[in-house]
Amino acid sequence: MQETELWLTKIFNDYLAAPGNWFLHIAGLPTQARPWADFITMQVLVVAIIVLLAAILRGRLSFDRPGKLQHIFELIFEFVHGQTEDQMGHGGVKYMGFFATIFLFVLISNLIGLIPGLEAPTMNPSVPAGCAVATFLYYNLVGVQANGILKYLAHFAGPVWWLAWLMIPIEIVSHLARPLSLTIRLYANMFAGEKVTMVFLGLTYFAVPAVFMGLHLFVALLQAYIFMLLTMIYVAGATAHEH
Amino acid sequence: MTKKTMLLVALLFIATPMLFAQDANTAAQTKAWTAIGAGFAMAIASGLCGLAQGKAVAGATEAMARNPGAIGAIRIMLILGLALIESLALYTLIIVLK
Repeated sequence: MQETELWLTKIFNDYLAAPGNWFLHIAGLPTQARPWADFITMQVLVVAIIVLLAAILRGRLSFDRPGKLQHIFELIFEFVHGQTEDQMGHGGVKYMGFFATIFLFVLISNLIGLIPGLEAPTMNPSVPAGCAVATFLYYNLVGVQANGILKYLAHFAGPVWWLAWLMIPIEIVSHLARPLSLTIRLYANMFAGEKVTMVFLGLTYFAVPAVFMGLHLFVALLQAYIFMLLTMIYVAGATAHEH
Repeated sequence: MTKKTMLLVALLFIATPMLFAQDANTAAQTKAWTAIGAGFAMAIASGLCGLAQGKAVAGATEAMARNPGAIGAIRIMLILGLALIESLALYTLIIVLK
């Protein structure tokens, strides 16, 4: 039970408590008086922002005279597309949808933490864990889809067959460590950023922690990029064909 | 091992229960020792992380100086490497903060 709520969470809890309890009910969890948590409403806000931007963009796409929004999205597309081709070559472009989704979601989630009155949902450990589990499932499923389940499991055994007894436990542990490290990296960066700002707010004058918020902005961008880059590397590793 | 070393090791074995036996630890004492331990852990983690990132940046800048054509690729590797090393120090920070 949290002590304070953001204004958005307060609105959700006051008017939409019944749908919130319905979600809890179908998950088998006990219903509560104020079911919406901060990080859930912030995630809903992030999804709403992305859908709204995409809807506005779709109406304004133009080949001859692109507007500012189209330019921004073209930049983002070029960036993700370039990174995908760097990591995975030409064949990787069919996985670009997931990479761009992860990038936009993590980026906007991190950035709304800088706006006063809103909180980054990635500050709660569940949200990076959800992204990391989604990435884990995605790269395993894509690896099975690209290589077939037998060949995919066979590549855990390493390059030569007589090292398989050593390679399989090492590969399994390293594969399980991937979602863990993705989660903790994103969560710790966001959590530490806010904590450091709060600590310095208590220590010195009012505007000094703005420096830390500037650093936090850079870290937010960087962590979103790193999450996407690692996802690409894992998918590249899973779909590598031994030619 | 010389006789002196064996004698010292034997004394250490005998003295260990006396050194580590605790009277009933109050909650405040446990908290104090936890804070000290956390401080040491974070200091060691940050120090080693600083060393490792310094080595990474040194290698990257030298490579960029030697081969200006590969600056783009080296920059990507540098950012990735720095973030991965940073995350190791952050694991310790999570333990400290919780």
